[in-house]
Amino acid sequence: MSEKKIAYHPGCPSATTAMEQDMSTRAVFEKLGIELEELEDWNCCGALEAEDPKLVIALNARNLALAERKGQDIVTPCSICYYNLARADQALREDEKLRAELKEIDSSLEYNGTVKAKHVLDVLVNDIGLAELSGKLVKKVNLKVAPYYGCYLGRPPETAFDDPDDPVLMDQLIELIGAENVPFSYMKTKCCGGPLMMTRADIAFEMARKILESAKKAGADCIVLACPLCGMMLDAKQPDIEAAFKVKIEMPVIYITQLLGLALGIEPKKLGLNKNIIDTKKILEKVM
Amino acid sequence: MPIKTWELDPNFKYEIMNEPGGEHLTACYQCSTCTLGCPVTEIIPSYNPRKIIQMSLLGMRKEVLSNADLWICALCQTCTARCPQDVMICELMGAIRRIAEEEEAAGNIKIESARPLFEKAFLHTLQKYGRLYDMGLALEYYPNREGSKIKGMKAMMKDYKDFGMRMFKKGKMGPLGGGGVFKGMLPEKIKEREVLKKIFEQLGEKEK
Ligand code: SF4
Ligand code: SF4
Repeated sequence: MSEKKIAYHPGCPSATTAMEQDMSTRAVFEKLGIELEELEDWNCCGALEAEDPKLVIALNARNLALAERKGQDIVTPCSICYYNLARADQALREDEKLRAELKEIDSSLEYNGTVKAKHVLDVLVNDIGLAELSGKLVKKVNLKVAPYYGCYLGRPPETAFDDPDDPVLMDQLIELIGAENVPFSYMKTKCCGGPLMMTRADIAFEMARKILESAKKAGADCIVLACPLCGMMLDAKQPDIEAAFKVKIEMPVIYITQLLGLALGIEPKKLGLNKNIIDTKKILEKVM
Repeated sequence: MPIKTWELDPNFKYEIMNEPGGEHLTACYQCSTCTLGCPVTEIIPSYNPRKIIQMSLLGMRKEVLSNADLWICALCQTCTARCPQDVMICELMGAIRRIAEEEEAAGNIKIESARPLFEKAFLHTLQKYGRLYDMGLALEYYPNREGSKIKGMKAMMKDYKDFGMRMFKKGKMGPLGGGGVFKGMLPEKIKEREVLKKIFEQLGEKEK
């Protein structure tokens, strides 16, 4: 990894529901000596609610252009921001007419395709690399972990950076820090239901419940994930899901950056481990 | 019910293929891989993306556009990743949904789903502030969904009472986590909101 400065697009949930993901991402990169420079005045990526692809491209052209003017690649901890940034980048690289059209709307949307959009997990494993990370580990985290990838890391094929059926990047990090992956392949990439939460909570809850209960059955101490919407469904909504189905799950859910941060010897508080909704005390007991 | 062939619209497939995301519709050979791997079908067995494609190919325009199932796709991309014919079903469903919204705006069909209202409320906050503003979104969405302010507030309280308390206790909203008394309750605004205004004026979906 030669670049020591990357533009950081935290994504909207970083301010509230997923603040522990934001805190741990910043803390991990600081520890690794890589400067995340928050993209000044970044805007929302449109999530999955901007259905018109052109609108999504325009919204993300602005963010890409902000990074391009700094000459920095852009990294985000959110799977959906990543998907939108990456597909906008691709569309704009391929389509000169579209670039001109956006420039016509506003000069700040002029993007020439000279930077890359990346997800935090991709940067950690593929750019920084396991070898470099392993030299910086100071603690062993003796946990049984269910690695949950969700949708947008391995799909769709155009923007994916991990395997669609059996992704491995988080598995590799988990092994690296001395934790154990429980058998979870069949659930790793199943949708958490997040996009249906506000309109069909009944379906969304059922989807999330399956993932939570499978992790429990597999003997996991916690679920580890890399997307704030998955975090919202599996962690923040877990008590609602328990109430709706009259079940007890009590499955801690943490972000991969929180887990890695522990192995790097970062203070749990700095990683926001007191912010996760399901208590993480049991996890902290297993850090040696 | 048998299909009334005289009511089929042979142009419907081209209409879909003209929408971004709908281009690959006619590549479908009906293998059903999409439906078999769909996590929503697993829960609602009548939900069948393959069938929606088949009906679209046949030209069952009205039945497809007014089908409430269009709006329960979780946008998870499993079907798109697995389809042997690269139909891009997830995107295709989006293309069909956009046609349905136009048809509703023209008064020709009625969409039986709150999803369009949710999307509109989401885009309104984005357009206004440049960032997602959960509370503003909810204050627009719930009353629209429930048909009145009072009913909307009730539904919102029901969904958010416990959740909000959880956020508050952990300092993710409100004064306990630093970031001010009203953290998470007031919108975060970007500076260049003018640019967003322009984007939405030029590209915003009709009537939003
Ligand atoms: S997987 Fe593709 S080819 Fe097969 S039925 Fe679905 S859309 Fe058609
Ligand atoms: S994108 Fe929609 S139709 Fe396709 S598998 Fe996911 S939920 Fe099913």
